[in-house]
Amino acid sequence: MRSISTSTATKITAFILVIILITVSVAQVQRFIYRDFEIESSFVKEYKDSEDFVTDRVINAFHQTTDLIKSGNKIPQNSGFYYYVTDGTKTFSNTENINKSFFEKYSNACYINEKGLLSFGKNTNSSESLYSYVDANKTFNNITLYIAFQDDFMKLRQQEWQEMRAETIQIATIMTSSIVLALVLIVFLICVTGREPQDKEIHLSKLDRIYSDILLAFLILLIAFYLESFFNVMPYVRKSGTKLGRIQIYSMIYIEIFTAAVSSTCGVILLSLVRKIKADKMLKHSMILTVCYKVYDFFKSLFDGRVFEKYPLTKSLFYRQLVFISSSAALVFLTFVFLMVPPLFIIPPILEIAIIYWYITGNNKTFEDINKGFNESLEEQMKAERMKIALVTNVSHDLKTPLTSIISYIDLLSKEENLSETATDYVKVLAEKSNRLKQIVSDLFDLAKSTSGNITMDLESLDLKKLIEQTLADMSDEIEKSEIQIKTKFPDRPVNIIADGKKLYRVFQNVIDNALKYSLIGTRVFVELEEVNGNAVATIKNIAGYEMDFTSDEILQRFNRGDKSRNTDGSGLGLSIAESFTNVCGGNFKVDVDGDLFKVTICFNLEN
Amino acid sequence: MDNARILVVDDDKEIAKAIDKLLSLEGYEIVRAYNGLEALDAIVSNNIQLILLDVMMPKLDGLSTTLKIRESKNIPIIILSAKSEDSDKILGLSMGADDYVTKPFNPQELLARVKSQLRRYMHLGDMGNIARSSQIVVGGLCLDTDAKQLTVDGELVKLTAKEFKILELLMINAGVVFSAENIYERVWNETAYSVENTVMVHIRRIREKIEINPKEPKYLKVVWGIGYKIEKY
Repeated sequence: MRSISTSTATKITAFILVIILITVSVAQVQRFIYRDFEIESSFVKEYKDSEDFVTDRVINAFHQTTDLIKSGNKIPQNSGFYYYVTDGTKTFSNTENINKSFFEKYSNACYINEKGLLSFGKNTNSSESLYSYVDANKTFNNITLYIAFQDDFMKLRQQEWQEMRAETIQIATIMTSSIVLALVLIVFLICVTGREPQDKEIHLSKLDRIYSDILLAFLILLIAFYLESFFNVMPYVRKSGTKLGRIQIYSMIYIEIFTAAVSSTCGVILLSLVRKIKADKMLKHSMILTVCYKVYDFFKSLFDGRVFEKYPLTKSLFYRQLVFISSSAALVFLTFVFLMVPPLFIIPPILEIAIIYWYITGNNKTFEDINKGFNESLEEQMKAERMKIALVTNVSHDLKTPLTSIISYIDLLSKEENLSETATDYVKVLAEKSNRLKQIVSDLFDLAKSTSGNITMDLESLDLKKLIEQTLADMSDEIEKSEIQIKTKFPDRPVNIIADGKKLYRVFQNVIDNALKYSLIGTRVFVELEEVNGNAVATIKNIAGYEMDFTSDEILQRFNRGDKSRNTDGSGLGLSIAESFTNVCGGNFKVDVDGDLFKVTICFNLEN
Repeated sequence: MDNARILVVDDDKEIAKAIDKLLSLEGYEIVRAYNGLEALDAIVSNNIQLILLDVMMPKLDGLSTTLKIRESKNIPIIILSAKSEDSDKILGLSMGADDYVTKPFNPQELLARVKSQLRRYMHLGDMGNIARSSQIVVGGLCLDTDAKQLTVDGELVKLTAKEFKILELLMINAGVVFSAENIYERVWNETAYSVENTVMVHIRRIREKIEINPKEPKYLKVVWGIGYKIEKY
């Protein structure tokens, strides 16, 4: 049931039906107007009782007869009534029987005026409008007037009246039923619009994107325009002459088409508005409200000091500005007021000067405070920076000095001749370990300096291809010793980048050293360089000689070593230093671990 | 030479003592001082041939001491410092020091540097200044183009023909950077193609012959990504 009622076909059918019904009822109105019917006929059964009869015929008869007295205008034959009128001197009548009882015999429509006093036949409709007509005319106070409509005439009229009544009732019935049906359908459409068979949501159509107040205004304008043209054109529909004329036909067609068009447009708009109401968007989605909100937001942002909540100095500036602007605005207004009272117009300028003085002195004070705070924070920052640098330098010195002693005395110890064999072995171990400690300390400070940004850079244009070749040549001893082969793939052209050559040499030295140290014996290390999208991309790939149970992030963390046992030499800082040095040179350092494949990608922007 | 008197200046007494011991074993006579002012006094009252000078010291630091000494004396000064930045080294050398050794140092390297400085000072002392026209001198390096000889701090070093040519090219143009291709074309007189390795191997051999610590060369340097050069002194 629900799926039928909410289906599109049902809705469209109902909508078309509504349009047809509206058009039909308008057609009935036209028919009514064309036939020039009286609405009265539908509810007054007898012609003699109708107001139409009173105004159209009786008052006319009264008028004609008084005219006869005043100016002697003839009453046309076949007017359908007998009369007798006298003002005491002149007497007129169209019947010999001038006594009252003759007239009263026509009891259905007998009207008697004796010096302003009205009386009626037995079955005559004593209309109020007749009384007011007689009262308004002083002439009737001086005359006696008998009027009686002939039975034949009345019979004929009654017959016409009855025909008209039948048709009017028919028109009214058709109209009422069409309108009722149309209303029912409209109510149905209002209920189902926006609903779809599949869910209970309100679905808005494209039309609903138009602001609701614009839709409403258009609807009202359209209806007003329709009504105006309707009342302008309608008179042309009225029957003139015996046949249906061209003007009437055109007017009718015009009105029908116009009605259909306007009613369908209005229907669409109405349903759109209904959907919006249902979706509770009628007010929210209106242009007035949207504009109001925008204006409100704008002013709110102007006068809302909450953004400055955390900055008391800026906040005071903001509020002072607010007071200054509003008081200046008020003063401009006051100036106009005071101009009307000449001695007082001196007041606004004085007030303005006072406000400007207050504003400027206040602001200057705040600016001073802000500058002070700014300088303080800058100094704090500088102090922190200096402390950091001093820390690195001092700790460096404090570590290196005892280490120097240790190394020196171990060297002296190794030169002693009276040492036992075991002692000589111990000294050897000490020498080895102290040298490693020296390496770690040195690496640690390189890293500390480069990560703290406290490092001197010597940037120059260099050929990355050449740098890698030089690095490999420099390391040729280690490479030969390692039983690992190095395979290279370089472009033919130089690959120019901007970097610090010494640092970059450390980067490649560390990465290649790392590859040599941890590669599976007999495998190859692939060193490749290529240009990709304006970048110089160097990759160093090797097959690990052990299972890499760490992620690429973990290996870059300081002191993380590929092998957890940490028995090989080195500081464990090699890759961290490589990453850090690459970064300070403006490059990008990435490690990928894929199964046994360990891959380092170093990326730099090409020069230019 | 074996009786040369060396002044060791370090506020850390243990280090001063260790250096004292190290050099005494080689037969040198040692005078110790623990700050810059003591060092200046020691120079006046002793006939000193070489000074080992720490930088961070109380009263008068190593750099100021160097400046003071250089006002009157030409004695070789080796600076010993925990500061390892290039800028620190450059600063030290520009103050008038002859060498710069970073702490912690390798005792054998220090010994080699001391010997080298003493050799240069005592043997070449006056001779070094009057170089013959056929001699190219860069720091302690002296290359005789006629005799096809190279001396490092007065000590003769044997070079192959190619090594000599490379060094000659770089020393004549001290401070200028040559690419591997450039060196190859000039020395081998052939078109260079994939020669980085060949040139680098030669450079390393030369370094092993002329440098005290080939890993931290004083004279023959790699300019990474560009080429090679002899540092100008």
